[in-house]
Amino acid sequence: MFIRAPKDFWSGLMFLAFAAVTIVTASGYSMGRGGRMGPGYFPTLLGIVLAVLGTILVIRSLIIHGDRVERIALKPLVMLVGCVVLFGMMIKPLGLIIALPVTTFLSAFAGDDVRWREAIGLSAGLTLLSLIIFVYVLGLPLPVWPDL
Amino acid sequence: MMDVLSNISLGLGVAATFQNLLYCLIGTFLGTVVGVLPGIGPVTTVAMLMPISFTLEPVSALIMMAGIYYGAQYGGSTTAILINIPGEASSVVTSLDGHQMARQGRAGPALGMAALGSFFAGTVATFVIAFGAPPLAKLALQFGPAEYFSLMLCGLVAAIVLARGSIIKAIAMVVVGLIFGLAGSDVNSGIRRFTFGVQGLADGIEFVALSMAIYGVAEVIVNLEKKDGAAGIAGSIGKVLPSWADIKLCIPSVLRGTALGSVLGVLPGGGALLASFSAYTLEKKVASEPRRFGQGDIRGVAAPESANNAGAQTSFIPMLTLGIPSNPTMALMIGALMVHGITPGPRVMTDRPELFWGVVASMWLGNLMLVVLNLPMVGLWVRLLRMPYRMMFPAIIGFCCIGTYTINSNVTDIAVMAAITLFGYLCLKLDCEPAPLILGYVLGPMMEENLRRALLISRGDPTIFVSAPISLGFLIAAAALLLIVAAPAIRQRREEVMVE
Amino acid sequence: MTLTKTRRGLLLGCALALVTSLSGWTNEAQAQAFPNKPVRLVLPYSPGGIIDYVGRAVATHLAGPLGQQVIPENRPGAGGITGTDSVARAPADGYTLVLMDPAIVINPTLQPSMPYDLFKQLTTVSMISSSPEVVVVTPQLPIKSMSDLIAYGKANPGKLNFASAGIGTTPHLAGELFKQRTGVDATHIPYKSIGQSYPDLMSNKVQFAFSSIAGALPFTTDNRVNAIATTGKVRSPVYPDVPTADEAGLKGFEVDLWLGIFAPTGTPPEAINKLNEALRTALKNPELIAALAKVGVEPRGTSPADGDTFLKAEYAKWKKVIEDGNIKDN
Repeated sequence: MFIRAPKDFWSGLMFLAFAAVTIVTASGYSMGRGGRMGPGYFPTLLGIVLAVLGTILVIRSLIIHGDRVERIALKPLVMLVGCVVLFGMMIKPLGLIIALPVTTFLSAFAGDDVRWREAIGLSAGLTLLSLIIFVYVLGLPLPVWPDL
Repeated sequence: MMDVLSNISLGLGVAATFQNLLYCLIGTFLGTVVGVLPGIGPVTTVAMLMPISFTLEPVSALIMMAGIYYGAQYGGSTTAILINIPGEASSVVTSLDGHQMARQGRAGPALGMAALGSFFAGTVATFVIAFGAPPLAKLALQFGPAEYFSLMLCGLVAAIVLARGSIIKAIAMVVVGLIFGLAGSDVNSGIRRFTFGVQGLADGIEFVALSMAIYGVAEVIVNLEKKDGAAGIAGSIGKVLPSWADIKLCIPSVLRGTALGSVLGVLPGGGALLASFSAYTLEKKVASEPRRFGQGDIRGVAAPESANNAGAQTSFIPMLTLGIPSNPTMALMIGALMVHGITPGPRVMTDRPELFWGVVASMWLGNLMLVVLNLPMVGLWVRLLRMPYRMMFPAIIGFCCIGTYTINSNVTDIAVMAAITLFGYLCLKLDCEPAPLILGYVLGPMMEENLRRALLISRGDPTIFVSAPISLGFLIAAAALLLIVAAPAIRQRREEVMVE
Repeated sequence: MTLTKTRRGLLLGCALALVTSLSGWTNEAQAQAFPNKPVRLVLPYSPGGIIDYVGRAVATHLAGPLGQQVIPENRPGAGGITGTDSVARAPADGYTLVLMDPAIVINPTLQPSMPYDLFKQLTTVSMISSSPEVVVVTPQLPIKSMSDLIAYGKANPGKLNFASAGIGTTPHLAGELFKQRTGVDATHIPYKSIGQSYPDLMSNKVQFAFSSIAGALPFTTDNRVNAIATTGKVRSPVYPDVPTADEAGLKGFEVDLWLGIFAPTGTPPEAINKLNEALRTALKNPELIAALAKVGVEPRGTSPADGDTFLKAEYAKWKKVIEDGNIKDN
């Protein structure tokens, strides 16, 4: 292929995509006139700057040699992002008492070296600690118990 | 001179009473704790203590609240060094070298140096307030929208220097950060931008969600990929405290950081934050072998921590002498004073000298307490690092989830954290560094706001940025800095091309 | 707060599954008089502002007459919309209330879309307080009165700027109302909070502002900015020497930074009346009156019906200012 610096190439593409979303979204906001700069002006400007930078990266990656992208480890990525999403889905209906230990316990399986007992102890300990600090000492308005 | 000395002794007399020492201790201790904890910051803490403060003497109330504020700055660096999660934007730079040190088994010296540097900076800044409050307050008044815009631009250029790798990527990350910062309600038009119709995004992307996603979750994923367990901390813990050689190496850095922090801290808005970023940049530029920065150079911890703490201290100047809040915590303190029937302003110094000087003196005592509280803790924190990574990372994930949720009790923040984790992981994979993104994110909204405000006031005339001398100075500095940064890179690139 | 609610929820759930039926429980609950558990008062702004301060003071003093604890809870976000919305959706049982300022009637006109319908989903428990704004001007211009300001504006068209705490805030709309009433041309410069605008006011980058009293006090006590008028019906006890806008020549020009307490529509009238009664008793407590006076706020209790009428009048007043000033299009 012609791509000599894959890392730069893909970052360039990522920035271009980001710039495109920014410019398209900002086109829905007024650009303003005269001294009254509208809400769309600054983001559009930034989007254009980002697009230029992305283009430079892509073009450069075809000329200068650079690093390859290392393999993407799907397992930790999917599992940990999944755990975060799961926490968000559980916290309101099920409360901290279920959401936190489940999240912590499941996330332990993202690693290669899982020890059941450790994971259970850890999630129980962390939950207890959080209950004491956040709920009882600081009195933050967290849902603790399932909301039936 | 004599005046100042007699004032300081008046202040010490007020601050060193048993009662006020106690409130100072409570404040600094609470501050350290909330600085370490995710999801609860100094603003929330001070707000929760407001009702109690109404029953206290105004001096005691202010001493306690001030302690929470600078204590939190202190505690924030602990998590940045230990687990690479900066609790506050100003600790982002500390994590760059601090966490690298922790990985090399030098968490102790990093924490110790942060404590000592902060103490020194706090001491100097206390005297800066004592001697220089009135003239420095005038400096803050010189800053209008045009000056702020140029200062922020200068700060963003400085952020590019933070990056170790490609400059183009660093600039792009700053721009992405600026765009992230723009999400939410626009101050100038009231329109909601980049919220895609989601109510929970009306106030933009939450800082804690952003930093936890990138430095917490995404970082854990990258670490888990390294199968050989390189993610963990190097076997030996090593010394707990910095050695004399470390301290000697850091003295000039601490001095420079303190000076920068004391001056920039006076500016309301991003002052204290810019201080820590620019102190790091300065060290990197001054150092004979800048490549060591980002790989665990102790000066990369000492300078920003000193600047951060000095800035936190001098940011009291506009509040105490002008009644202008530099940040939300200060706004709360002004509120507390007004409830006590004291209107903050220039007259506080003359009408209520015991209040002004008592608080100033308590800051020095508070800094002393912080060192005494924290140095013994260093050993404890370091022991925490002995925990194997397979146990540490699930705890970090749980920590990030609960921390992000407690900020606003808003599930959208958790969703934002998940989305930014994906983006952050991609960035880490592609060698796009996140530190410039964070600075762009924090400065972006202020920068746009001041740009548009300056142009509104000048009725659209852009020469306002060059006709104001301070603003022009910052613009020239920004251009010069960009040249200095870009020059070696361009040269290097040419060489690379030649090789081909 | 949520803790007690959710814990109660759990107990209730267990009980439900084990023995009783749902109808049995509701009958039992209705038998007990309102209020039989703590009441939650949502404050839809960040800690530190007037709403937060007044809300906490009112909550403390409301507990006695109500016979139950009142727990204030900050739910900031989206200019008060997030917190208000959470109450609009809460069960209409009188245990969830919201304290709001004029933004509650301004938002529906100003925002392109609202998550709730103010007049359909919320009902007034009582107005709580009233507070004028104070007109402050830069000390660097020879403007010492309202008529000076109007004369200067007419003589120097396009030169005046006025500061506000953001688009659609009371300081902004008061400024627009001033422009519409006097025909003076002035450019609106929004800030994040009114406090942020004072350095620019002192250095004459911005010439005047309609400010909250709490925001203005630190700067007017030593004349770093000049107070030229207040916007109440009568003079403010905080500024006894400053004329009202009406006295200064702007007949009938009134802007009120009022606060009111609202409940979800459908809340039983007994609960509303009990809350209203308790509130009006609390507002007569000299301690509460003194606490409010410190930030220039005067207590004002109303009946639920009078509160609703006032709310509708305020809605109409600001809707007209927003539409006449084309504020949405800018």
